[in-house]
Amino acid sequence: MRDEPYRWIEAIQDRRDYIEEQLRPGSPVVGLSYNEGIALVTLSTGQRKIFEVHDRIALSAIGHPADIERLRMLVTDTASLQGFQNATDDVNLHRLTHFVLAHTFKQAFESIVGEAYIIKMLLAELGGNPSENRWTLLNYDGNVHTETTASVIGGTEAIEAQMKNYLCTAANLETLSTPQTDRTLTNALHVCLKTWAFGRELSLQEGEPETDADTVSDEELRNVINEALDTSEIEAGVLERTQSGTSKFRLLHSNDIQPALDEW
Amino acid sequence: MNHTGEFLSNHLEMTNREGSSVINHKGDFLSLLRHANAPLQLGMPEITTQQRPIGDVEVTHSTTVITVRYDEGVMVAGDRRATAGTAVIYDRADKVLQIDNFSVLAISGSPAIAYEIARILEHSFQYFRRSQLQELSLEGKLRMLSRLIRENLSMALQGIGGVIPIFALYDTTSTEMHKGKIFFYDALGAHFENVDFATTGSGSIWIRGVLRYLNRWGETDLQDMEQRQATCTLLRLLETASEYDAATSGYNAAAQIFPTIKTVTAAGVQTLADEYLAECYAEAVS
Repeated sequence: MRDEPYRWIEAIQDRRDYIEEQLRPGSPVVGLSYNEGIALVTLSTGQRKIFEVHDRIALSAIGHPADIERLRMLVTDTASLQGFQNATDDVNLHRLTHFVLAHTFKQAFESIVGEAYIIKMLLAELGGNPSENRWTLLNYDGNVHTETTASVIGGTEAIEAQMKNYLCTAANLETLSTPQTDRTLTNALHVCLKTWAFGRELSLQEGEPETDADTVSDEELRNVINEALDTSEIEAGVLERTQSGTSKFRLLHSNDIQPALDEW
Repeated sequence: MNHTGEFLSNHLEMTNREGSSVINHKGDFLSLLRHANAPLQLGMPEITTQQRPIGDVEVTHSTTVITVRYDEGVMVAGDRRATAGTAVIYDRADKVLQIDNFSVLAISGSPAIAYEIARILEHSFQYFRRSQLQELSLEGKLRMLSRLIRENLSMALQGIGGVIPIFALYDTTSTEMHKGKIFFYDALGAHFENVDFATTGSGSIWIRGVLRYLNRWGETDLQDMEQRQATCTLLRLLETASEYDAATSGYNAAAQIFPTIKTVTAAGVQTLADEYLAECYAEAVS
């Protein structure tokens, strides 16, 4: 097939359409920095979606559960080994995403006779100070995109772009890398949940998403959350600078999350 | 070519060969190391006692550690001296090492091996939690430490790398009233739960009897002591051990070097501050 470039490009495009279609209904994940760390938020139905990778690195993804699990283990194993053989300070997000994951994703995507990974991954790294935080988004085709303050993964690129705009407005950020240091955890969770609800609303619409970030009301978004809560629950994980010990990750309990819902 | 070397290509190769399943180490860190062609090697197997007579290498040793249960959990104290033969090598050695949020390892014997065991334990517990999405159970943690001590048997038999640790923890899942637990090990890796106290190292022979006496006939049972009383008791015991054992240091007033004391309670692991220890010394020891 590689002898016929046109067919190869067509096959890649078909593959892209297929994966996008599979990813579309996935529950989005929203990440935002706050004064003491960074928070990852999503709604999930039973299966965990937010994971600890290493002392200062967390991961979340949308896609096929088997693919998420396989790649989560790859990155966890690699980080654990590097941390043990060298030192935990030598494990960093850039090396994991660019030297391990990106080409694994790309290789699987472009070898059209093999199986592709149906996945979109968001990894977060807690820096020594807020300007050193890193959010890295890995697309199923191996493309990598990094921000410092916030990030989003959603079902399609169009949904993702709109969610990013919404997140910037709701969090009062110029771009997703605008430094910000005074946000509380409760406020960060609140903004993440609103952005999640906005993304959910978009992914439920057929064809091109139509909901406008400027006109959608807080109440409508709250209803989206309430409806989703019938079948799923809020999952949130943080990497917190104030946490004692070397591991900075913890999953939040419902009583940590409740104040963010009360703020609505 | 990937930048993580052989491990990653093995990983992917296995992933492809096994179809949809990932390589499953079942959370076992030692298995992960083996798979990455970096198997754990605590000792130096090529050296045998026949080839190298014991005694011609001065190996660093270290000395008295004590663990007691007190009303909030467990308290672990260690002196700071490391010796090789009759020489004092270092007087700021830390022999009480935090392993995770609710456990510490107190070591006596060869620090080189002991630090490595502590590091492997820490990474193993973390790897289990991160890969299996749950904490390793208490029994699992104890067994892991047993395995590591057994791996080190050849070094222990040669008399150059023996490690006899005490593992102290706060068992948040326990239904018992007192959640502080103390386990001690022998050189073969058997673990024993010691209810109220444990001590090990060359200075421990001078104080084990005192601990027994205090626990049986003391005014307060060890496990009912409050933090300050427990701290004062442990400082006195270390001072006693240092009086008779040259490899144990007491409080060094000139250099302001205090023993290490850590508490493991519902609030996690805490290291008692030097200022607090100075107060306790003034009150109870000097």
